[in-house]
Amino acid sequence: MLCDDYKRVVYFFLDGSVSQRRAVELETHRRDCHDCDERTLVHRKLRDFVKKRLAPISAPEHLKVRLVQSLRIAE
Amino acid sequence: MKTAEAYEHEQGWDFEKAAMPYVDSLYNTAYRMTRNSEDAEDLVQETYLKAYKYYDKFEEGTNFKAWLFKIMKNTFINNYRKKKLTPHKIDFSEIEESYERVIQKNAPDLIRDPESEIFQDMMDADVKRALDSLPHDYKMVVLLADIEGFSYKEIAEILDCPVGTVMSRLYRGRKMLERTLLDYARKYGYIRGEAEPAKMRSRKDEVKGRKKKDEKGEETDVQEPEESEEEVLFAEAEDEEFEFEVEEQEEERFEVE
Ligand SMILES: [Zn+2]
Repeated sequence: MLCDDYKRVVYFFLDGSVSQRRAVELETHRRDCHDCDERTLVHRKLRDFVKKRLAPISAPEHLKVRLVQSLRIAE
Repeated sequence: MKTAEAYEHEQGWDFEKAAMPYVDSLYNTAYRMTRNSEDAEDLVQETYLKAYKYYDKFEEGTNFKAWLFKIMKNTFINNYRKKKLTPHKIDFSEIEESYERVIQKNAPDLIRDPESEIFQDMMDADVKRALDSLPHDYKMVVLLADIEGFSYKEIAEILDCPVGTVMSRLYRGRKMLERTLLDYARKYGYIRGEAEPAKMRSRKDEVKGRKKKDEKGEETDVQEPEESEEEVLFAEAEDEEFEFEVEEQEEERFEVE
């Protein structure tokens, strides 16, 4: 496997979305390739960072009330 | 179909019970997409009313959350078209190149501890700004995957597109987002060099014939089907190997979910 092949699927690999066979190949490459290992870690850290900083925003209570009301009117 | 009053009432109750648990998720995505609470509230309300109206079209046993998101996405797209926001055309190879330059120089520092050292002082507002800098198709996919945790298959369902397109947008969306964050990190002096801002040319610059129409704000221009815009974008840059990769995964995996 070449580094380019690895780079192309690294996100999907991190998502656990590649086949078992593919995952083994990727893991093997990663073990032997310092650059691709580093890249994988960078992707993961950045994604965790984004997820942490973009904390979910809950719907405001008045919206929930409004929704239930409008659904009951729609009935 | 709704006939007896009693049945109707029961259906309404069922819907409320089924749909209300997703209000926070829907609102969160609506807020990220519209970028303000008023529009987000309107979008969610419109979504719920439409979903209620078409509740009898929902197939029992399929993914209800994904169905609600799909309605919301369609509603968003309609409103988006009305507002005449201009889609961007992206030179993705340029983004890749500058990403590579930054990664090569900074990967070891980034790995060491991006959160507490390099990104410590980065504001939530910067992360928000980086997300907002993504064209909305990419932003939507990134939100659905990385914030809402939908599978590729569910996202494909929500967006009405092939799984391969989801993966392609996810790949690019994430990379653009990371690249923008790295660019901020560079501007703040946390990492070293060479992440010039990506050139994001608008469609207006590309197609001169449309420019005048845009300025007048004529309705015709807004009708441009968004999907085909997307197809053009990917036809240009998607290489054969990538498509092969996607196909291979589609066959082998999507039963797993
Ligand atoms: Zn490698």
